[in-house]
Amino acid sequence: MKKLVFPFAAIVLIVASAFTLIKSQDWKISDNYSIKFDGGDPSGEFKGLKGTVNFDPDDLASSRFDVSIDVATINTGNGMKNTHAKSAMWFDAEKYPTIKFTSASITKSDAGYEAKGILDMHGVQKEITIPFTFNNNVFTGSFQINRLDYNINTAEPKHGAADFKVDLSVPVSQ
Amino acid sequence: MFKKIFFHGLVASVLASIAAIIYNHIYFFATEADFSKVLNPASIIALNVIICLLAVFIYWPLLTWLKRKGEIVFNFMFSIISFACVIIPISITLPLDIQFPELFPGLAVPMVFFPAIAWYTIKPLFTLTQQVT
Repeated sequence: MKKLVFPFAAIVLIVASAFTLIKSQDWKISDNYSIKFDGGDPSGEFKGLKGTVNFDPDDLASSRFDVSIDVATINTGNGMKNTHAKSAMWFDAEKYPTIKFTSASITKSDAGYEAKGILDMHGVQKEITIPFTFNNNVFTGSFQINRLDYNINTAEPKHGAADFKVDLSVPVSQ
Repeated sequence: MFKKIFFHGLVASVLASIAAIIYNHIYFFATEADFSKVLNPASIIALNVIICLLAVFIYWPLLTWLKRKGEIVFNFMFSIISFACVIIPISITLPLDIQFPELFPGLAVPMVFFPAIAWYTIKPLFTLTQQVT
């Protein structure tokens, strides 16, 4: 009987590891997310977040974000500013309807995690690092962005803010 | 004289409030845009009362000081200020949880004129010109 203990334990381990592999790391984005930008004037938020969120804190190497937001959903709280923001002078929502972020690597940091990847906005692709945390199935992050780096209204660098703080809060479920 | 002007302002504020509340309901049914966080019956009444009572405190000294011309000056002032106030609903930044902010001026811009319209509408009921002259 004792001889069977180790083979049995091995079988249990193999079966358990199979379930570990089955466990999904794909997260579904919940509706109550928020993507807020703050440049003093203007400030606001975006909606229309969609894409793939594949994140496993224990397997960062295979974790990946491939998400986009709909530029036309910009809301500054003022109708006139919204129309202005979507126009060719600023985001040019007709020509560049989405803002995309695709991660290349996700690493652990002191405060949480860091996602390095390409932010594709207004036809310009630039590498950025987004620091974030993941607690209670909510991704929370904050980073700075300069609109001039993405050729957004470069003709008027002093019209409104150039530097924006972006705050993300994305609850997810499996 | 002040008592009459005061009641004039008060009645004008009631009329303007009623008109604004009715328009608010019509606008909601037409567009389904909910701006009740910013404009609801309580805030509409408060705004109209404040505006009309402010008008009272401008109209009364003007009438006392300029006699007949006071009314002309006041009417011009009230109309010009009402027109200038159009910029407020156009430029205001609403809370981000309010959907369709581009529809807000369509609701609030006409309301800006309601106190002046109500004031002028009931003016014949509170004619003071004869008393003043």
